[in-house]
Amino acid sequence: MSDYWRLLKLFFPYKFWMLGGALLALLTILSNFGLLALSGWFLASAALAGLGGYATLNLYNFFLPAAGVRAFATTRVISRWLERVITHEATFRLLAQLRSWFYSRLEPLAPAGLQGYRSGDILSRLVADIDTLNNFYLRVFTPFLVAGLATLLMSGFFAFFAWRLAIALFLFLAASGLALPLLAERLGARSGAEMTNLQSEYRVQLVDGMQGMGELLTYGAGPEILHRSNRLNDAILQRQAKMAQISGLSTAGMSFMGNLAVWVILILAIPLIHGGHLGPSDLPMFALGVMGSFEAIVALPLAFQFLGQTRQAARRIFSVADSALPFPDASGPAPDVQKPDLLLENVHLRYPGSQQDALAGVNLQIKAGSKVAVLGATGAGKSSLANLLLRFYDYQSGTAQFGGHELKSFPADQLREFFAVVSQRSYLFHTTIRDNLLVAKGDAEEEELWKALAAAQLESFVRSQPDGLDTIVGEGGVKLSGGQSRRVAIARAILKNAPWLVLDEPSEGLDPITEMEFLRDLQPLMAGRTVLYITHRLLGLEQMDQVFILDEGRVVESGTYAELLKKGGHLSHFATFRNGVVGEKIS
Amino acid sequence: MSKPVRIDQRLMQEGRRTRGTLYFGIGLGLAAGLLIILQAFILAHIVNGVSFEGLGLAAVMPLLWAMLALFVVRAGLSWAGELVAFRASASIKSYLREQLLKHLLQLGPVAIAGERSADIASTMIEGVEALEPYFSRYLPQMALVSLIPLAILVVVFPEDWISGLILLITGPLVPFFMVLVGYAAEAVNQRQWRKMLLMSAHFLDVVQGLTTLKIFGRAKDEIEIVARISDDYRRSTMAGLRVAFLTSAVLEFFASLSIALVAVSLGARLLQVHAAVTFYTAFFVLLLAPEYFNPLRGLSTHYHARMSAIAAAKRIFEILDMPLPEKPQPAEDYVHSQEISLVIRDLCFAYEPGRMALDGVTAEFPAGKVTALVGSSGAGKSTLANAILGFVHADKGEILVNGQMPLNAIDPQLWWRQLAWVPQNPRLFHGSIADNIRMGQADADLAALREAAKNAHALEFIEALPQGFDSMIGDLGQGLSGGQIQRIALARAFLKNPPLFILDEATANLDMENEALVLDAMQRLIQGRTAIVIAHRLATAERADHIVVLEAGRVAESGSHQELLAAGGVYARMVAAYRGEIHV
Repeated sequence: MSDYWRLLKLFFPYKFWMLGGALLALLTILSNFGLLALSGWFLASAALAGLGGYATLNLYNFFLPAAGVRAFATTRVISRWLERVITHEATFRLLAQLRSWFYSRLEPLAPAGLQGYRSGDILSRLVADIDTLNNFYLRVFTPFLVAGLATLLMSGFFAFFAWRLAIALFLFLAASGLALPLLAERLGARSGAEMTNLQSEYRVQLVDGMQGMGELLTYGAGPEILHRSNRLNDAILQRQAKMAQISGLSTAGMSFMGNLAVWVILILAIPLIHGGHLGPSDLPMFALGVMGSFEAIVALPLAFQFLGQTRQAARRIFSVADSALPFPDASGPAPDVQKPDLLLENVHLRYPGSQQDALAGVNLQIKAGSKVAVLGATGAGKSSLANLLLRFYDYQSGTAQFGGHELKSFPADQLREFFAVVSQRSYLFHTTIRDNLLVAKGDAEEEELWKALAAAQLESFVRSQPDGLDTIVGEGGVKLSGGQSRRVAIARAILKNAPWLVLDEPSEGLDPITEMEFLRDLQPLMAGRTVLYITHRLLGLEQMDQVFILDEGRVVESGTYAELLKKGGHLSHFATFRNGVVGEKIS
Repeated sequence: MSKPVRIDQRLMQEGRRTRGTLYFGIGLGLAAGLLIILQAFILAHIVNGVSFEGLGLAAVMPLLWAMLALFVVRAGLSWAGELVAFRASASIKSYLREQLLKHLLQLGPVAIAGERSADIASTMIEGVEALEPYFSRYLPQMALVSLIPLAILVVVFPEDWISGLILLITGPLVPFFMVLVGYAAEAVNQRQWRKMLLMSAHFLDVVQGLTTLKIFGRAKDEIEIVARISDDYRRSTMAGLRVAFLTSAVLEFFASLSIALVAVSLGARLLQVHAAVTFYTAFFVLLLAPEYFNPLRGLSTHYHARMSAIAAAKRIFEILDMPLPEKPQPAEDYVHSQEISLVIRDLCFAYEPGRMALDGVTAEFPAGKVTALVGSSGAGKSTLANAILGFVHADKGEILVNGQMPLNAIDPQLWWRQLAWVPQNPRLFHGSIADNIRMGQADADLAALREAAKNAHALEFIEALPQGFDSMIGDLGQGLSGGQIQRIALARAFLKNPPLFILDEATANLDMENEALVLDAMQRLIQGRTAIVIAHRLATAERADHIVVLEAGRVAESGSHQELLAAGGVYARMVAAYRGEIHV
């Protein structure tokens, strides 16, 4: 319940839109109820007046009820249309509000606070959750509010005539609107959960089958895949058959309850009319009124389904939004940096939830203008170094000084201005090449963009595209090869023009020839900058002023590449290992 | 406009598969509709009796009991209808899923390489699912939408021809205007829908790129952009939706107004001393008026289902229409051989016209020898391997097995039994490690499994897992490293032990220790067999018996390591360039 309350509070700025839409929905339902009930009463009273002869005829006011009938019909048409326009308008406004709210909560968390949510899978589920929450207003809030109000008003109308009729109508609407859907949901819950599991298993099997089709076929598993697919399909259909039974039961039950309500109201009303407590023209009004009243609860079974979905979505969204900030950001102006040297003394960094230090007492010094490589195997702490520098993660102890000031004293945004990063994780947005470049420098002129592309050896490719800079990359556009996307990252780094260049395994995942070309094309970018080259390969090390070898979060060796090779320590072990046993890459 | 219609026709053709069930469902719906008329008839009698003939509860009780019985029957019909509708769509869904998967398997991995596997999976699951409402709701409703109103007209006309006329005239106007407004609205809706997808994709994009945005100090600006894009989207969508909603307004307009019209006209005629209509007639007609429009209301709801079904069907038929490669009838007389040699003559292949991947490749792969394929990326190494695997079919030229049998005359299933393929990034499948190694050798015992794993340097780490060989791949999460996956794939190949091996040497994502183990296992696997290795490392090529160097879809040169070095061609330059680069 508190999740909904919070959601409503979030939506508070749009309360008028929300209530306006709901009231129009209420009006639509009430005018249908009015149209049917009044028509029934009108026919009967007109017939009675006709039977009464000229005396009653002259007393009968034909125009008022006739105008009422027409007015209800017109109101219904207009309010129905307005209701849909307003509720949808409100939905979009709420969605926009929700997205920017969620983004503003997410932004300070990234990346340290989102560590558990790193995989694209979970992020896309969160985004889908936002879209699900979007249903809250249209499919949950409005139907429940409208059903509740309409039930009270319509029963209230019946109460003018007889309390027992009002109570009967109220009970029937409540039972069909609340009890029936809840029962159906309870009955279908198990099959529903089983179905979700089966479907995700089916998806895994199919994705496996598609991505690994070559291996599956050559190992003779083709028929097996077909067999498994058929089996899963049958299992899913079996659950669906059960769910169809339940949903059939609920649909049939709903219309049966509506009919039964008419029946019971008749049983209750007939003695009243027969006994003269109520007028004869009231009976058709009751009958038609009850029929019209059930429109109020028609949307509730669906609303219950969405209720469960939105509750889970809201819970997930709020739990992310409520994550504590991983560490406080420094406020105020950044310290003045004269020379951007880096000095690390006995630095310890441990990731939240981890048992081990990722950096366990690192000592190293990088003078401004020098080119330094950090070499190490997976898990040695290389990337943690980059995370430390960019203030993505905080260090727990030791001294980390940049330009003579402790890293902690820099507001993260301002510290990052010193660094351009090229890494395998550099993200390409699914938009134009231009927008991807402008991320690095929002006010760059077109000419500047082309220059950066030229320096990144990507100019001729972009020129060859019919849309040039406006070529869309990624899904729905031109797919860039691994080397090309990495070059976009170089172009961004050029545009950013920062004093430091951090290369975080920049060529990882590229094929060997592309890798060599890529590293070669990085050279001009390195000129005149302080370079931190993080790698687990020996390629390109000879061009560095200094090489640090990292092992288990500590610097175990340092010197120039040639010195280290001669020394016979870790690095030469790597080199013989690679060249003797494995051999370098040739193609 | 013509496209949805054509897809409609194709869908209805699929519907023939369960014609009987569909008709049965329509029959149930029709019966339920006719019972509504009977129900209105009884109700009108009860109300008329009480209000105008002064009858008490006891007098109308038999009618009330009859009405209650009717309700029960109607509920039963509605429930049965739901089940039948499900049955009708279920067999179509099963059929389509099986067809899709069969077709995809026949197309093979290279033909579907461009298709995103997640997309194919959701087409097969949700896409096929989206067809259900089309068969279970939309089609039956299409039939009922004409039958039930017609039945009501037949009943109303003899009772009161003026009301009958009002219904007769207003009824057809609803579909008419809905088509008029609705088709335009449909186009608008579909455009908007796509835009909405883009919108949510954009948000995902921004969230995924948050770290990159932060590095560039632009993460905070994005809040505004997210809000602005949402707002733009709202404005343009609402413009479209305001029109689209007119569809339902039109239905409401005719339905509500004609009920009002019927009521007012009946009321006016009842208000006469010798009225031409009785209250009974008037009330009976008034009860039927909303029912007359109800099927139309249902139709407009299920129209939405039709739209999503058509979108899904489009994708389904796209996959089913992907052409299968033409294959000559496989010869029957191919028998397993212990030794395999391959001769390739003038092989040409283009993925798309004008882009030759293989441009006249002629090469030999002698039996019992290891041949390395060497070349830069895009030279045609993978395409050649795919041709030998039978995943792509050459446009020209031929591959001869053991000197005489053309490859495309061999049943692929038989051919695949003779070889093992280890790609660069092997895939482990949902299931246990044992299942994964046993693939294609379901009857292999644990001893054989351990032997294969041992040969592939995989035994040690597998047995270190808590569940050993029974560890489930899915549960391990990121537990297995790239090198471990490679070694399991090699164990799989060891277990199969066929006469021909085709391997794509792993390069990326292996740390140094793993790399050595993987390469060592690979060397031992292919020793003394016919093996084709796509080599990325000098050492691998050096150890091969024979090297084929590809360049731009052609064989540039071939020979042993020493011969090629001596020849001073492409290979020699490659080796020299590389050795120059790394100062060893």
